Amino acid sequence: MFGYVFKRSLQSLVAVAGLLVLVFFLSRLTGDPAYLYLPLDSTEAQRQAFNELHGFDDPLYIQFGRYLADLLHFDFGTALSRNRPAMEVALEAFPETLKLAAIAMTLSLVLAIVVGALAATKPGGIFDRLATTISLAGASAPDFWVAIVAILFFSVSLGLLPTSGTGTPLHWIMPIGVLMLRPFGLLTQVVRGSMMGVLTSPYIKTAQAKGVRRTKIVFVHALRNALLPVITVAGDLAASLINGAVVVETIFGWPGIGKLMIDAIVRRDFALVQATVLITAIAIFFLNIVIDLVYAALDPRIRHQTA
Amino acid sequence: MRIKPVCLAGGMVLALAASLSAAGAEEITIVLPEQPANLEPCRSIRADIGRVINMNITETLTIIEPETAQVTPHLAESWEQVDDKTWRFKLREGVSFQDGAPFNAEAVVKSINRLMNPKLTCDSRSKFGDVTLTPKAVDEGTVEIVSDIPIPIMPTLMGTVQIVSPNMPFDQEVNKPVGTGPYELEAADNEHIVLVRRDDYWGEAPEVTKATYRWRSESAIRAAMVESGETDLTPAIAVQDATNPETDFAYLNSETTRMRIDAQIAPLDDIRVREALNLAIDWDGMGEALFGTDVLRASQMVVPGVLGHNPDIKPWPYDPERAKALIEEARADGVPVDTEITIIGRNGFFPNASESLEAMQALWQEIGLNVTIREMEAADWVRYLDKPFPEGRGPTLFQQQHDNNTGDAGFTVPVMYTSEGQYSTIADKDLDQVITKAMSSTGEEREKLFQEAFRVVHDEIIADVPMYHMIGYVRVGPRLDWTPDLKTNSEIRLAEIKFKQ
Repeated sequence: MFGYVFKRSLQSLVAVAGLLVLVFFLSRLTGDPAYLYLPLDSTEAQRQAFNELHGFDDPLYIQFGRYLADLLHFDFGTALSRNRPAMEVALEAFPETLKLAAIAMTLSLVLAIVVGALAATKPGGIFDRLATTISLAGASAPDFWVAIVAILFFSVSLGLLPTSGTGTPLHWIMPIGVLMLRPFGLLTQVVRGSMMGVLTSPYIKTAQAKGVRRTKIVFVHALRNALLPVITVAGDLAASLINGAVVVETIFGWPGIGKLMIDAIVRRDFALVQATVLITAIAIFFLNIVIDLVYAALDPRIRHQTA
Repeated sequence: MRIKPVCLAGGMVLALAASLSAAGAEEITIVLPEQPANLEPCRSIRADIGRVINMNITETLTIIEPETAQVTPHLAESWEQVDDKTWRFKLREGVSFQDGAPFNAEAVVKSINRLMNPKLTCDSRSKFGDVTLTPKAVDEGTVEIVSDIPIPIMPTLMGTVQIVSPNMPFDQEVNKPVGTGPYELEAADNEHIVLVRRDDYWGEAPEVTKATYRWRSESAIRAAMVESGETDLTPAIAVQDATNPETDFAYLNSETTRMRIDAQIAPLDDIRVREALNLAIDWDGMGEALFGTDVLRASQMVVPGVLGHNPDIKPWPYDPERAKALIEEARADGVPVDTEITIIGRNGFFPNASESLEAMQALWQEIGLNVTIREMEAADWVRYLDKPFPEGRGPTLFQQQHDNNTGDAGFTVPVMYTSEGQYSTIADKDLDQVITKAMSSTGEEREKLFQEAFRVVHDEIIADVPMYHMIGYVRVGPRLDWTPDLKTNSEIRLAEIKFKQ
């Protein structure tokens, strides 16, 4: 097991390193930052002075060398637009995204497993149809639209919830609700499909013949086998949430990393782009390890293969 | 045990009710369209920064009155021009910075030098071009500013220089501004910025004791936040969200839009084609449909009130028949009017910017021109804004939005219309002379000369297709007594906000 994790870690490390190189050069391909930092009516001399001051006039390989040297000291550069160390800004925002993603993902997963499994026990039944309709609608509804309508309804018309921001527990309700729509919808579909397959397999029939209780068959015997594809999809969805729930962060004014990353790109704040990408890459790297471990725990074939 | 969750829920509702009801009697919250990137006073001509700190935390020697372009005293009580490169400012007495440091000539000198410090990226420096300023303290209350070239509008320019405490780091940009203003920074983080009123302000004490700023980029959300009473005021909402005449106010936001004509390249080098471009557009229809009923048709690139604005220039009318005739006339004379003309636009420039390009494209095609649209990212678009323009670009019509909130046409005319101008597509020796003369004169003569320049540009050269003086909308909660003005885009003076009785 340890060897397996070690091997995966090495692979991910190479991937993260490659990503950093890529982001460094790609972000600099977008053009001269002086044009975005300085006002439009700045003079050429002012732009040149800006580039000299921040080393943007040096050849790319020199800039890259400097970046690597700084990385070795854990210096991630200054977020020029914020007047602050880039990593400090990124680390402030990331936990906000992580909290939101963790809660939304856990709730979606639990809800999807229950609803999907129940729907699969009686395909074509009323509950199945209802669950399918709701989950498909959830998976395909445009989240920015749902978010705005929810604010107009719950905050403006009913005055029940705060429109946006953070602070009280009530502030969490709408962002999490909107964020759950897609994962819940997709996962319900996956659980349902996978469960339907498993429920027709011979070992379930055996269990039924032995007179095992129905709920026990579904949630203990069948679920364990049905979960593998669910974990794969859930892992993907979780990774995209960790990357920042940009729409939800933007509309609800949630101070997360998705919005920060977009702002950094738009403002050509190279150091901040690099720092935010690095943080999310590392987080996704850990997420992948966790997913692998869950796989191994669920599927003895993987466990024994790697042992 | 069973009662507990109910209690908890009840408590939460109460807590929410408390948080929803607007803050204390003299405290307000403002929701901005974007988080200020930082709070560095030497960058505060950027709207995101200026809206929070200008005239609230930091102040300036002079103030430019938005409606009249008059320069009035503020931290300076008076000024005089000693010679054409030297200005002398007499400072107000009894003023102190929020950190207790006295406001004096040394502090002003240090503020100006800090703005010019090459180690800092100060946006506000761009107003001075490549000029070198040498400020000098004559005595405790007098500052002399010498420039290497004559600057006749030094008092106007001083309206953009935020005076900061001498204790602020000189070689480093900061997020904790300290100035002479009526408010000081209490807190700033990822979610809000709080300003509180100070007791030892030199001027009249404002009514608002505390202002909390938040930010949401979505206009509909900001409008909803004021409507639900969560916040008191939001600037820059979209026209479709400004639906309540009781709370929503339109204001000229000092931005003017135009299509710049590549007047050196055929067929746009023919004046008939340039006139036809102006005549082909249904200005009233497009303005009302895309920018709201309050939008003002522009005939020149500065808003009324700016020194140099010429009220006698008539905007081009909508006359498609005459436009067609002009194109045919040009065609008959061998002008290649069928050449493809490219409209250069910028993604997400301002609300309905793309729609306006599509409308104009259709109308220009109707008069017989061959027009395509290319919309670009800001950074790409800038390549077309500034000289040297891209080689082999063909004839272009370039969409531009220009903001002149400094009250003087000198920030608009030279850069747009002289032969050397950074954005200029025209080269006219006589016009150059008029503009050069205007730049070195003051008062009425300056105004006359800029008015003449605008007349030549509009009537004789037809250098561009002026579009509209743009409108912004604010939503103001029912508690507040406040109306926006030309400066609202770049500053919101808390001291001007009053409460309704």
